[in-house]
Amino acid sequence: MSNSGASIEVKNLRKSWGAVEVLSDVNFGIEPGGFLTLLGPSGCGKSTLLRLICGLDEVSGGQILINGADVAGKPAAERNLGMVFQNYALFPHMTIEENISYGLRIRKVPKAEKKKSVDRVAELMALGNLLDRKPGQLSGGQQQRVALARVLVSGRPLVLMDEPLSNLDAKLRVEIRSEIRSLNKKLGITIVYVTHDQSEALSMSDRVVLMNAGVVAQVGTPKELYEHPANTFSATFIGTPPTNILDSLEVAFPADLKIAGGLKLSECLFGIRPESLAFPAEDLDFKVRARVQSIEYEGKVFLIHMRTDAGTAIVVSYSGGSVPDEGEEITVGWNRDATHVFSRSDGKATTLVY
Amino acid sequence: MMRLKCASAMPLVLGALISGGAASVQAADLEFYFPVGVNAPAVATIEELTNKWAAQNPQHTVKAVYAGNYEETTTKALTAAQAGDPPQVAVLLSIDLFTLVEEDVILPISDIATTAEDQAWMDGFYPAFMSDSRFEGKTYSIPFQRSTPVLYFNKDAFRAAGLDPETPPKTWDEMIEMGKKLVVKDDNGNVTQWGTRIPTLGLGGAWLFGGLVVSKGDVLSTETGTEARFDTPATTAALEFLVQLSDEGVMQPGGISWGDTPKAFLEGQTASMWTSTGNLAFINENAEFDWGVGFLPGGDGPGAPLGGGNFYIFKETTDEEREAALDFIKFMTAPENAARWSIATGYVAPRPDTWETPEMKAYSEKLPQALVALDQLPYAYREFATFQRAKVTQYLVDAIESVVTGGSTAAEALAKAQEGADSVLSDYK
Amino acid sequence: MNKRLPLGLGFVLLVMPCSLLVAFTHYPAVRALINSLWNNASSRRPSKFVGIENYEALIADEKLMQVLTNSGLYALGTIPLAIFLSISMALLVNSKLPATGLMRLSFFMPTMLPLVAVANIWLFFYAPGIGLASQIMNFFGLPTINFLGSTETSLASMMVVAVWKEAGLFMIFYLAALQAVPENLKDAARLEGAGPVRVFIDVVFPLLRPTTIFVAVNALINAFRLVDHIIVMTKGGPDNSSALLLYYIYEVTFRQRDFAYGATLTVLMVAILGVLAAFQFWVLDRKTHYQ
Repeated sequence: MSNSGASIEVKNLRKSWGAVEVLSDVNFGIEPGGFLTLLGPSGCGKSTLLRLICGLDEVSGGQILINGADVAGKPAAERNLGMVFQNYALFPHMTIEENISYGLRIRKVPKAEKKKSVDRVAELMALGNLLDRKPGQLSGGQQQRVALARVLVSGRPLVLMDEPLSNLDAKLRVEIRSEIRSLNKKLGITIVYVTHDQSEALSMSDRVVLMNAGVVAQVGTPKELYEHPANTFSATFIGTPPTNILDSLEVAFPADLKIAGGLKLSECLFGIRPESLAFPAEDLDFKVRARVQSIEYEGKVFLIHMRTDAGTAIVVSYSGGSVPDEGEEITVGWNRDATHVFSRSDGKATTLVY
Repeated sequence: MMRLKCASAMPLVLGALISGGAASVQAADLEFYFPVGVNAPAVATIEELTNKWAAQNPQHTVKAVYAGNYEETTTKALTAAQAGDPPQVAVLLSIDLFTLVEEDVILPISDIATTAEDQAWMDGFYPAFMSDSRFEGKTYSIPFQRSTPVLYFNKDAFRAAGLDPETPPKTWDEMIEMGKKLVVKDDNGNVTQWGTRIPTLGLGGAWLFGGLVVSKGDVLSTETGTEARFDTPATTAALEFLVQLSDEGVMQPGGISWGDTPKAFLEGQTASMWTSTGNLAFINENAEFDWGVGFLPGGDGPGAPLGGGNFYIFKETTDEEREAALDFIKFMTAPENAARWSIATGYVAPRPDTWETPEMKAYSEKLPQALVALDQLPYAYREFATFQRAKVTQYLVDAIESVVTGGSTAAEALAKAQEGADSVLSDYK
Repeated sequence: MNKRLPLGLGFVLLVMPCSLLVAFTHYPAVRALINSLWNNASSRRPSKFVGIENYEALIADEKLMQVLTNSGLYALGTIPLAIFLSISMALLVNSKLPATGLMRLSFFMPTMLPLVAVANIWLFFYAPGIGLASQIMNFFGLPTINFLGSTETSLASMMVVAVWKEAGLFMIFYLAALQAVPENLKDAARLEGAGPVRVFIDVVFPLLRPTTIFVAVNALINAFRLVDHIIVMTKGGPDNSSALLLYYIYEVTFRQRDFAYGATLTVLMVAILGVLAAFQFWVLDRKTHYQ
């Protein structure tokens, strides 16, 4: 087990199956020991991207630099990386010990050394008493730890993970999530992690690559993605409930409002997180009339689903005392600094000018 | 079955009543099993002849059932007989006589063919063919598709080897001597044309072996059906001759199959072969070279086995059916029809009067090879037959096969075969 | 759903399969056992009870010993050969090569042909001098082999025919099993540096084990069950070198019409198959499936 991770950088990466381009012009990078997440809805190309990085599929163009060296043409085994598959991909006919040591066996590591490495990761992953079992006799969480152990035993500086938590129940997911995060920090390995779960991405990552339909929508830290969505996709994909998008035409806004870059106000969309919406709205800068459709009780807050006069659905995360009735029409509002502005034509973010 | 018979007989009965009951001929429905053992359009010819008989005898019907090869036909007929529903008439191997007698399913034809006229008819067959239809003084079967093996040789190959194409080998020694000259090899030293080809595998091999033994002045079995003469000087000599043929490089080593032999001859893989006259028509149609037929070369003189099928009448039949069956057999062996059958297949017509028909004369003029089998007939002897024939013959087959494939010596193998045969036949003595 | 069937209907439903089973399985088996204790009767030989005489003949039967040896060799030869060939074909048609559809069809074709037709095709193939096998060998300057006419090659030639006939069907089972092998298991092995051969040996083949056992069992059953090609091609010869147990039973019973000894041999075969079946159940009972 090495304690230094590898850096990875992807430049202008392209992938097409025949005439269909599934990935175009992908660029991102992460420093050694970092935790990078590829996030996006299913079918956005994030798993394809992972397979390109690990070498199971061939790139159609661009570069993949690991520690500065382009590995795009190299076979998977020579890229010095490990991978945790979605269904763990444990060999069902081998014992846990054989599963963990399979790579060492292929590389003809001497027996004594092999034993030492297996024992070390078994201890690390708390698998000591399971080594003689077959994967079928283990619980999902245990299998997940075996899959991690199999990757860690070779001391690879870069580990790829393809939705490794999607088969676990909610409680276990949170547990393993923090386990992975602490391994990342403790061992210093670089992790590239694929998920469609934005809260997973936000909580674990140093850096998130948000993807949509084969292109990168936004790259940044979780905080950047949440606070400064680069486009409407980013705004609506990150955060629960999603950001409300309202057309500028249905909103009452201050008369002195201006948009940077010469965009007219009439060509704008406003994005507001549900927790930034409030009522009564007398003191707030922006206002919109809406009718209450339904109310969900979430413990700390109420989620009030509403529909504007123009028919746009919005959600308010409300923690005040008196809850309006269903069917009641009220005015909700928000302040300038909570407003994200996007161009209606291409969805890109821009800024307000005071 | 019975209902059908009644229904089909009904119009005839009515017809008889209307015409005043003058007709005395009783109607019968015959079922006739027949095998095909040669490469010839035999089924069509059989059907043509049975239809002709049915047309001449409208009061009767006959259904010709093709029942496979000889073995299958015998099995089917026996199974049907044991189930109580045998065919009335069938062509089965002449050597199945003992089996059929033992199963008690056939009727001696001499018991129903009792008139002087019938007697004269039976006397009109070649005695050689009648020899294996008799048991305990009675005649059980009538020769029909009889064959005997002859030597087929490729005259072009003889010419190419500098041999006279009109004098094929007559003795075993000549076979080896001429055979050596007929062998052709390619540049790699592999043989592309062998001198001769005598099938040695299976029942075909055992049949031809009978001829080898006859030519050394002995026989494999006698009329009693209880004696197998497997271990004699003649059988030893015959088996050693077969081995010698391949040792001297005249014949392909190992077992030689019956079925491939005509093809090998036609393809020029062998300059000569021993096979049944039943293949005359097939060879005549397919040979692309000048070919001739001769007697089987012999050890001490000519000798050949007889083979083929005879007509049998089954026991479980009504008097009307027996009468109709006898009439059917007479029709099928009548000169004109026997000639038609012989020409279509190459089988040896079993009666001298057939050879006197204009059709047969024209045929033998066009294909003089057909006469060779007839000329060889005086030197031919009945095929091996005993009680438990299949079982006893298998001992002989095993012996021949084990010797030609190099598994044991002739003396050893024959002694073992004799021992096996004796133990089976001891029950019948 | 819990309504009970009327007693009468239940009885009728039971009688049908039971009577079929009794008529076509149990009665013949018991009949064979009884027949094996009697002599082979005919109209000229009265039937008599002979006790274990037929079984004594069985032990003394040299030919039977050869037949059993042949059957054993035949089973041992055809099973691994069929497995090897069917896996190879399945891998080939499962690959990304062009025209795999055509390959699939042509590999499966022999399975659709009746065995007798297959035997006739191979009869021509093996014919010394004129057959395709000889012509191919001549092309390479090799001497002609008398495949069916020599004791050394006849049994092996029969095995080849049987394998050619059955491998296509087994290929289908392997194909289905191959397509069920999770792709990510192979990916996982590949990432660890395993080449295609290692991936197959370490991952794919072990996962095919249930299919392999299934195929082996079927090939074993076929080895005892299918003798049509022997009847057509060699009749057990030369010198009994290609005679299998079922063929021997056929020959003794139907050609030699020795029903008593045929029944005795049948009892022997049933006993052998019983032992094999017990062994198979034991193997299949052991854990062969992975989730």
